[in-house]
Amino acid sequence: MADLDTEVLIIGAGVLGAATARELSRYKVDVTLVEKGVDIGWGITKANVGVVNQGRDTLEFRPEYHRSHLLWRSLSMMEPLCAELDVPFKRVGGWLMCWDMQQKEKLDKCIKRTESLGLGKDRFHWYPELKEREPHVTDKVLGGLFDPEISVVNPVFLTQALVENARSNGVRLMLETEVLSIEPGHDHFTIQTNGGAIKTRYIVNAAGERIDKVAAMVNADDFVLFPIKGYVGVLDRKCGGLVNGLVSAIEDELGTMNIVVPTVEGNVLFGIQLQINRRGDHSTTEQMARKALDNARSLVPDISANDVINAFCGFLMFRNFEIGWHECEVGMSSRVPRFINMTIGYPGVSASPGAAAEVVEILQKDGLAMEPDPGFKPDRTGIPDFSKLPDTKKRALIKKDPRYGHVICRCETVTEGEIVEAINRGATTLDGVKHRVRPGMGRCQGGFCGPRVTSIIARELDIRETDVTKKGEASRNLLYETKELLEKGAEDA
Amino acid sequence: MPERVDVAVIGAGPAGLAAAIAARNHGAEKVLIIERAEKLGGLLPQCIHNGFGLLYFKEDMSGPEYEKAFVDMAAGAGVETELQTMVIDLGEDREITAVNRERGLMRFKPGAVVLAMGCRERARGAVGIPGARPAGILTAGTCQRYVNIDGYMPGRRYVILGSGDVGMIMARRLTLEGAEVAAVVEVMPWAGGLIRNEVQCLHDFGIPLLLEHTVSFIHGENRVEGVTVSRVGADRRPVPGTERYFPCDCLLLSAGLIPENELSIGAGIELDEVTAGPVVDQNRQTSAPGIFAGGNVVHVHDLVDWVSWESELAGRSAAAFADKGKLDVTGAIKVSPGKNVKYVVPQLISGKDDVTLYMRVAQPGLGAVIKVGDVTRKRHRSVRPSEMINIELEGRVLKEAGVGGELVVDCETRGSD
Repeated sequence: MADLDTEVLIIGAGVLGAATARELSRYKVDVTLVEKGVDIGWGITKANVGVVNQGRDTLEFRPEYHRSHLLWRSLSMMEPLCAELDVPFKRVGGWLMCWDMQQKEKLDKCIKRTESLGLGKDRFHWYPELKEREPHVTDKVLGGLFDPEISVVNPVFLTQALVENARSNGVRLMLETEVLSIEPGHDHFTIQTNGGAIKTRYIVNAAGERIDKVAAMVNADDFVLFPIKGYVGVLDRKCGGLVNGLVSAIEDELGTMNIVVPTVEGNVLFGIQLQINRRGDHSTTEQMARKALDNARSLVPDISANDVINAFCGFLMFRNFEIGWHECEVGMSSRVPRFINMTIGYPGVSASPGAAAEVVEILQKDGLAMEPDPGFKPDRTGIPDFSKLPDTKKRALIKKDPRYGHVICRCETVTEGEIVEAINRGATTLDGVKHRVRPGMGRCQGGFCGPRVTSIIARELDIRETDVTKKGEASRNLLYETKELLEKGAEDA
Repeated sequence: MPERVDVAVIGAGPAGLAAAIAARNHGAEKVLIIERAEKLGGLLPQCIHNGFGLLYFKEDMSGPEYEKAFVDMAAGAGVETELQTMVIDLGEDREITAVNRERGLMRFKPGAVVLAMGCRERARGAVGIPGARPAGILTAGTCQRYVNIDGYMPGRRYVILGSGDVGMIMARRLTLEGAEVAAVVEVMPWAGGLIRNEVQCLHDFGIPLLLEHTVSFIHGENRVEGVTVSRVGADRRPVPGTERYFPCDCLLLSAGLIPENELSIGAGIELDEVTAGPVVDQNRQTSAPGIFAGGNVVHVHDLVDWVSWESELAGRSAAAFADKGKLDVTGAIKVSPGKNVKYVVPQLISGKDDVTLYMRVAQPGLGAVIKVGDVTRKRHRSVRPSEMINIELEGRVLKEAGVGGELVVDCETRGSD
């Protein structure tokens, strides 16, 4: 007996699972989204630099690949999607620079290729013009190819917005629900989770780093993936002026994996030296950090180690080199009917709207009745960003809810009102609040606001402060009360 | 309409309190402190150890006692306060935008402003430790607040990276609270904090201080499970093959303090690259007329007593500016750090008035001779980067020496400590 009966079960609430859930919520289909973690968008999605609409003109772009088609399809979708979901989206443009004439020829080929496909708006610019638009880039470059379409979003914000909107349109979300086994039936699957059994007609496997593990449960792992990781450094907001858009350069045959890019929030990110990884290893190393900084400084020499306020490990699943590492895996399993695998590799966030639309088509083609839901509401309103509001709106907001007048995080100017709203929308942990409204994201990294945010979470969720976690059960932040250890010591004696 | 005040002080720590009291006592009618926390005193309430006030009050006080003395003086002097209020903008024209629950968005147009925002601790990202990102990594000051104010112990077994004063004080505090401090790890060949803290907080409790070591990796996916500690080479980078694993559930960071100058930057105030605080003249006026600064927002002090004195000077100057509309240093002389001197504050003096220079050395040494241009020499048996050095200069002597343009401060030493 299943505890839950659904038509489409999506495994994994990263950007791909979220986009698919939201796309399906347009129709009268029963959709369930299960996520192993305590919050959404915390796997590969979070470990992302937030560049979208990229890839059309870069060296690794190959028209014959499925991934490229998903990307094209998504190009025109991302901005309207962000507008509907009230997710900040900024078109910043981006440079792919070259160092000599031989490399310029490669860029010329890129331009020709995109032009022939009717996609190209990008142009080559020699050094003086490049320098005019990006005054901080190195003097050593010959010139660069400029793609005006390259944009930035916060992938976690996008995922949260997609899930919020999907839920308001009827999608069921189950957090901390891990898929343990999948048993195929004649016209359905039975899934055992830590939270009970689920019966479903279709499975969309968007389990991110664990996609192959989940697929293997039902012998649908007809692909080979391997984990890869890179280093991403975060610069203080005061360095926001260092680059106007994405800056990258031709490095070698593998592509353009060193970047400097502004975030939609006004920080600057740098890094991504991709290397093959051990699954589940999300640590940075000293060598990665040093190399990333050196590489970033070779693009933008004014970047200073003193302005690095944080760093994280970017990671994703890539196709095996031998079968084309630029390819993705989005489609029905060749071995298991009604089982759809979904992983894109790089750049997954960019291609997520197109991939979600394609999954819907696959389901439709396979015979799932897709009657449009007349009650579907595409719009969602984001949490107010107090610091960015004009004064009149600031005043009005505080008048309505005085907690918006209480600034908790000084670095990012985050108010108690925003933190409470983040909790109301599903944040249960320090990272959950941080990745919704940004307290602790700034230069002091939570030194000042950490204790205050802990108190607010405890108060709003009616739990003890010692039960507040950073990112779920095993990550409690405060292990004891003061004097507890002394009492324990006395007992032991 | 912005509200008129004579002197607005941003921050109610020891610097802000001293500045506000001095401003009132020197004729400013309406003096307002704007403070983001729920009470006055800044970090003093959480500093429950002793060692405060030895110079200022000639008495060994705890942080809360020192705080109470100043809060009482502020109340006696009629200083006004706006608590739980965050200044979100400071303009070059001194206009302040602040916000709180009750009054919403507020604007003030002060006759003069004193910056007293203090400093913040360097966080993990700034320190740049590789490894995982689990719970249980926090700065020593945040831990101090949890233990002493909120009543929580973040962990049971600690490694502390950096031997700043707060870190060493917390090593002792945590030990007294029944926790274990496995080691204090310092990348430099000398401790970052005061000798008295090294002796009283580490040596007396048998806590190892590993000099020329660093945390080279953090282990634990969800909660800190341990750290790898490595010796560092001359380039301050880990030396392969020297790794030692320390199991622990908490990593504290005490690896430097950074003056908190985001508002100053917003107001276009010139900062000193070394101190990371505003460039100030002998009156503690910044490059923005009528905006003064005192305490750790200018440069990180070793003792709170100096913070109070420096900020009194800033408060007094602000009162004078609010009254007259200007307070210039005529014939300004630039004071610059020379040999083995990290910085000197103030960076501008008149060359005619009595003035105290605050400075720190770059390297420790014995038999030090500090030379202020050709004006004066001062001998010190030993100098350490962790200790501030004060040099009092008499206006008369400066005038006689006929200093013009620039005054360079050098420190020569015989050998190392």
